[in-house]
Amino acid sequence: MNRWAVLSVVGSLVLMSQAAGLRVGAQTAGATVSQSSAVASASTEDPTLDYEFFKTRVEPIFLKKRPTHARCYVCHEEANHALKLAKLTPGNTVWTEEESKRNFETVSQLVNPGDVLGSTLLRHPLAPEAGGDAFHSGGRQFESQNDPDWKTLADWVRGQKIR
Amino acid sequence: MTRNTRLLGVGILLMLSVFMARPAAASTSRIYVTNSAGDTVTVVDPVTNKVVQTISGIEVPHGVNFSKDGKQVYISNESESVLDVVDQKSGKIVNKVPLSGHPNNIAVTKDGRNVVVCIATEPGSLDVVDIAAMKVVKIIPVKGPLHNVYVTPDGKFAVAGSVAGKRLTVVDLSTMQPVWDLAFDGGVRPMTFDTNADGSTNRIFVQLSNLHGFVVVDFAKHTEISRVMLPKGNFGKEEWRTGTPSHGIAVAPDGKTLWVNSILANAIFEYSLPDLNLLAHADLPVVERPGKAPSGAVPEWITFTPDNKTVYVSNSATRSMSAFDTQTLKKVAEITVGEVPKRINTLVLQ
Repeated sequence: MNRWAVLSVVGSLVLMSQAAGLRVGAQTAGATVSQSSAVASASTEDPTLDYEFFKTRVEPIFLKKRPTHARCYVCHEEANHALKLAKLTPGNTVWTEEESKRNFETVSQLVNPGDVLGSTLLRHPLAPEAGGDAFHSGGRQFESQNDPDWKTLADWVRGQKIR
Repeated sequence: MTRNTRLLGVGILLMLSVFMARPAAASTSRIYVTNSAGDTVTVVDPVTNKVVQTISGIEVPHGVNFSKDGKQVYISNESESVLDVVDQKSGKIVNKVPLSGHPNNIAVTKDGRNVVVCIATEPGSLDVVDIAAMKVVKIIPVKGPLHNVYVTPDGKFAVAGSVAGKRLTVVDLSTMQPVWDLAFDGGVRPMTFDTNADGSTNRIFVQLSNLHGFVVVDFAKHTEISRVMLPKGNFGKEEWRTGTPSHGIAVAPDGKTLWVNSILANAIFEYSLPDLNLLAHADLPVVERPGKAPSGAVPEWITFTPDNKTVYVSNSATRSMSAFDTQTLKKVAEITVGEVPKRINTLVLQ
């Protein structure tokens, strides 16, 4: 094996180990989180789901009261739905770390990383006139794909990270 | 003033009084609809079919019903597990009655003294709210979490249905005790009743999960006697509602017809009573989707004007209520309401 071939193999191994590390980071929910709140661009080649992005940007959407709409949490709290959100500890207005990790595991099941409209989480609450599912018993939570909260969910699915 | 002039004057006054009285006489009812994925209840005047009031501040409202004098509106509030009491005129919440669990639909006893509330959380019960005391005075245990409840037309019984328990339970309202129940092969959805000549309950018409039709129950014998299937349709799959193919059933105020919603056919069907022959149907609106076939309205509930002339259907997928002339089945209005409208009810103003 010549020098270039050896370098190429070593480089590939490094890249593969980094990718594996990111995946493990997503699966173990928060293991790779840094203290910075800066958002890193999504990698289209490796759209893994970032726990910190989920906790700081996605989870608040589930608790947010939008005018004329019920909050996601009201119907999905320990519900018999695919989106089953952890019950908030009495007295708390946000989820604990443990609850957030549970939510991350649950919500990740409703997402196809990198495929926004292939993700139930994005498609189901989106208005049917805007490309969403025909009916969501929680209504048209997002009237269009330009809704800022819908775009945040899309960024998470595309693999955007907090670094 | 000549005699003819006087007569003409009287005639004009009479005509004016007729024209002026017409709207007041006609506007004697209101249609209430709970916007189940929102935080409002929409109120519609059936004369104009316009929204005349919006009750706000009730996140995930479920059932809606009224005090005997029509001055108060009762709404079960799923987000707070309370029964909200609303002043009819102002539309403001005036009281909140804490319940024993997460509520679904409600009914009011004929004497107006109690509101019975379905508790949809395990193990399931029927809460009895004393309106004078504004508190739950009795919790009636039943087999399974409850979804819808009705008071029979004679006022003697409450009939509650359980989706998870696949069963209806009949409660004697004089003793507030369950007296019989009946199990089915599917979850119990909306119900309605027809009556015997003496006003007692004859049959219960019961919609079930996974049944595109309804079950006919003999009230006196406590047994299922037949099933009526609705004409087929191609909706429901895209709407994720094949498990609830038919939701919304009601006997018209004159007792002569039975009306049934179909999610699969995206229509409302009219049947004759007592023989249950299919008479007619009306199509419901569709949702236009870019690049895809239109999807259905997902009808949820039915109510009527007290004069029997107009039937209303709440369409949860189109954020609307459809109003049809009961004689011609022609649509008279499509009324935009709130997010995922479900339960609707008619208030007779006094």
